[in-house]
Amino acid sequence: MTTTDDEDLDVRRLTEISRELPAIDLDAESAARISRRAADDLGKRPLRRNLELVLVFAIVIVYLVWVIGKVLELLG
Amino acid sequence: MADDERAWVDGLRRGDRAAFDAVFAAFRRRIYAYLVRMTRRKDAAEDLLQESFLRLAQSTARLAPDTRLGPYLFTIAHRVFISWTRAQAVRAQLAGDLPAREVAGDTRSPLEALADSQAQLALERAFAQLAPAYREVALLVGVEGLSPSEVADILGQKPEAVRQRLARARTQLAEALGDHAPKSWRTPS
Repeated sequence: MTTTDDEDLDVRRLTEISRELPAIDLDAESAARISRRAADDLGKRPLRRNLELVLVFAIVIVYLVWVIGKVLELLG
Repeated sequence: MADDERAWVDGLRRGDRAAFDAVFAAFRRRIYAYLVRMTRRKDAAEDLLQESFLRLAQSTARLAPDTRLGPYLFTIAHRVFISWTRAQAVRAQLAGDLPAREVAGDTRSPLEALADSQAQLALERAFAQLAPAYREVALLVGVEGLSPSEVADILGQKPEAVRQRLARARTQLAEALGDHAPKSWRTPS
């Protein structure tokens, strides 16, 4: 188990050496394409989440119809 | 939390395109560099960068007003990277192969080609030789300046586990760097 002092030292030394890493960036054209593509989905729910909602809604409706049918059957 | 960041979060919650563009411009290099160093592939990193910002765009309505965008985006990027790693492993199994080992060879990878000195090249290779779990912690703390507790939240790990990975990452980096390690690293701590 390491102490807080050891942790501080690890952080300091990793920060110190990481400054020497070369800068990495993607080209401007790719950046613009990715930004445009992602921004087009701003505020949209993911498709899978929409499908999940539709499926749950459909299952609930079918179940309710079945329950109502059964109740009517018992009453009739 | 900086005023800029608060304004960006407010904008994102309203679905404001300008706020999204500002966040993309502010964070894309950091997220991309993290993904390049984790995947060791620029093409994969570009795909994962797009997926990360897509997920941000699709989750803006659920952002809390006090969301800190750095840790939030790195959490998304980490999850996207984990999904990619699993997909790669499945693909390799289906192909009847073992996953490719990430060992730096004699030829320079596109990532290593960015290095413009022997010291930078040694450092890039030393990071590449770290196991992904150690590399990730070293990058998030050392390069991104996130605190170990923030990194624990991002990775869904206990702070103690992050502290141990941090210590091991530093030890392994020092060993891999050999003579290229800073002088202060060679003295007993």
